[in-house]
Amino acid sequence: MRVLIVEDESRLAENIARSLREIAGYAVDLAADGPQGLQLASRNAYDLIILDLMLPGFDGRQLLVQLREAGQQTPVLILTARDDKESLVALLNSGADDYLTKPFDLGELLARAKVLIRRGKGQPSPLLTVGDLQINTVDHTVRRGERAITLTAMEYRVLEYLAHRSGAVVSKSELLEHLYDYNWEKFSNVIEVYISGLRRKLNDGKQRQLIHTLRNQGYTLQE
Amino acid sequence: MRRNSIQNRLIASVLLSQALLTIGLAVTGVAYTYWRLLSTLDSGMQSHALRIGALVRYVDNSNGKVYFDDSLLPPPLDPERPDLFVVWASRSGLLFRSPGWPEGLELQPGEDLHWNLEYAGTPYHALRLTRVKILDRGEGRAFRPQTLTIIYASPTSHLRQQVKAAGAYIALISLGLMLLTLGLAFAGVRSGLRPLQTLASQAGLVSARNWELRIPSQVEQVEELRPLVEAMTQMLDRLRRSFELQRQFLASAAHELKTPVAVLKSTLQQTLQRPRNNEEYQLALEHSLEDLGRLEQLLLSMLRLARAEQWAEGALRRDLEEIDIASTLLEAMERAQPLAEAHHVRIDLAEAGGLIFRADPEDLQTVWSNLLENAIRYSPEGSTIELKLGREADRLEVQVSDHGAGVPAKDLPHIFERFYRGDGSRTRGSGGFGLGLAIARALVEAYGGTIRAESGPGHGTRMTVTLPADRNPVAPPGEKTPDVAS
Repeated sequence: MRVLIVEDESRLAENIARSLREIAGYAVDLAADGPQGLQLASRNAYDLIILDLMLPGFDGRQLLVQLREAGQQTPVLILTARDDKESLVALLNSGADDYLTKPFDLGELLARAKVLIRRGKGQPSPLLTVGDLQINTVDHTVRRGERAITLTAMEYRVLEYLAHRSGAVVSKSELLEHLYDYNWEKFSNVIEVYISGLRRKLNDGKQRQLIHTLRNQGYTLQE
Repeated sequence: MRRNSIQNRLIASVLLSQALLTIGLAVTGVAYTYWRLLSTLDSGMQSHALRIGALVRYVDNSNGKVYFDDSLLPPPLDPERPDLFVVWASRSGLLFRSPGWPEGLELQPGEDLHWNLEYAGTPYHALRLTRVKILDRGEGRAFRPQTLTIIYASPTSHLRQQVKAAGAYIALISLGLMLLTLGLAFAGVRSGLRPLQTLASQAGLVSARNWELRIPSQVEQVEELRPLVEAMTQMLDRLRRSFELQRQFLASAAHELKTPVAVLKSTLQQTLQRPRNNEEYQLALEHSLEDLGRLEQLLLSMLRLARAEQWAEGALRRDLEEIDIASTLLEAMERAQPLAEAHHVRIDLAEAGGLIFRADPEDLQTVWSNLLENAIRYSPEGSTIELKLGREADRLEVQVSDHGAGVPAKDLPHIFERFYRGDGSRTRGSGGFGLGLAIARALVEAYGGTIRAESGPGHGTRMTVTLPADRNPVAPPGEKTPDVAS
């Protein structure tokens, strides 16, 4: 998953980013002002945008409105210091999916971020199931039938993304887009390495394959 | 404290004046009655005396001798208290004393024409007639006619009774009138004071949630209440403004504190989310300390602003001294030097004459420092900030000019508002909280001065502080010196 944080308070942005990376295993991009946020949000495919309201350039609300007018469906979580009902209602009506008032709890922010990402992918439950494969997005555990499967952090991210989009064909570039922030060099053969690792770990030999390769198109996770 | 009732005092004063009036009327009435009765009595006595004089006759052929013919004397009206009289003739001497002339009562012809006397417990009024002609012509007319002196006295006891009765009558009428007045005064005062009670109950409805003082028309119509109503309305306006100011300040302060608290909280939570090594903990603590430092700076700035505004409102007293403005400017320049060097900006003080102003030097230094810091933040590298100090008629002027990008026209009217930041952000880069200029303005205004900013894109910004040269800062309420008409 890849998240964009638009927040001019760099220390706060850094803390949220670190938390999302370390705990949720998301790729995170940072923008410090409105124009930069808009540029990143329109150029990259994000699974969630965390948006501060008071921003230099133009404020978070304008950014939100512009994104929605451009047809962007990405869930948006607003961070605001204002907690009066009118402005919160106005925010939701402008196309925000959720909000947190400052000072907030990082744990709550993580939980809400996960919920928003799940819902954005049409997955209301934190437990993703594909056949007998179960992925718990809360504690990042994976089981196939009775067997617990241990994955590396990157393998888990690839699997979780595929599970969110289960049944659909996910291209390598889409995976790269959603698993890496802009600081990483994107090499498509890295994905192939993770996919083969995943195949090996999910498949104990006798069972059917879950990850299928469609030549020149990408991958799909399904029974 | 002694309680004082307007109602009772009004009624008491009405009754007192009524009582005085009554007493005056009664005294005059009684005196007049007495005088009327007495003059009636007097004229009666005169005619009686003359009739008695008519009973004096000449003795035939006696060469002018006279006698009193008491055979024609009418019987006394009141035998208990008969009228008394004495008749003398000018040559024959005492002619007659009335019957029942009291023993021991000596009446000699004297000087008085009217006088009072008392005999045997009975008051008498006496009257003396002199040179009364004798009506009888006598025989022959060869002698010089005699004249008579008559003293006539009537008892006045019945007269006193009449006066007493009249007095009692007047007193009774007055008492009745006084009771009537009391009732009317009571009712009048009560209904007169009712608008005051209405006003009081309306004033009782005013609260921080409802500032409106509704003045009923029956109160508005009362001339005497108008100053009170006006004073109350104005007081409420002032209170509401000050309350609003405080409320806004509290709201914006709470709002502004949320972000630094959020930063600090996120740093700590993020650190505790999983076990970390010593270096990471150390870094987290350093970051927390930095965050806390910013929080502290914000708090201190807000306190400074609150105090300056309080003082500007006249709620705080200060010890002031005569200070040289130039020295405070130099001090502020020195303080701003490190920041200026960091931004590679030069500060240039144009003039430094000894201009004296009564103030707390710390206040003026704060004003200059805040203006300088602001100027430094918006100055491009290598530019110069000009400080100018001058005097114009009755004003002292300090100007801080920079050569930065200038303030956009839409922001210019707002830059002195607290927490106002031009670009809608917290302008992390410039490091301010949006309080420096608000503090400067509050302090300048507390000293009765003004602050204004002129700016155009590309022309830089010029801040001008104007202080009244010959006036002390606004005195706290109650010590206000009367404004000299200008």
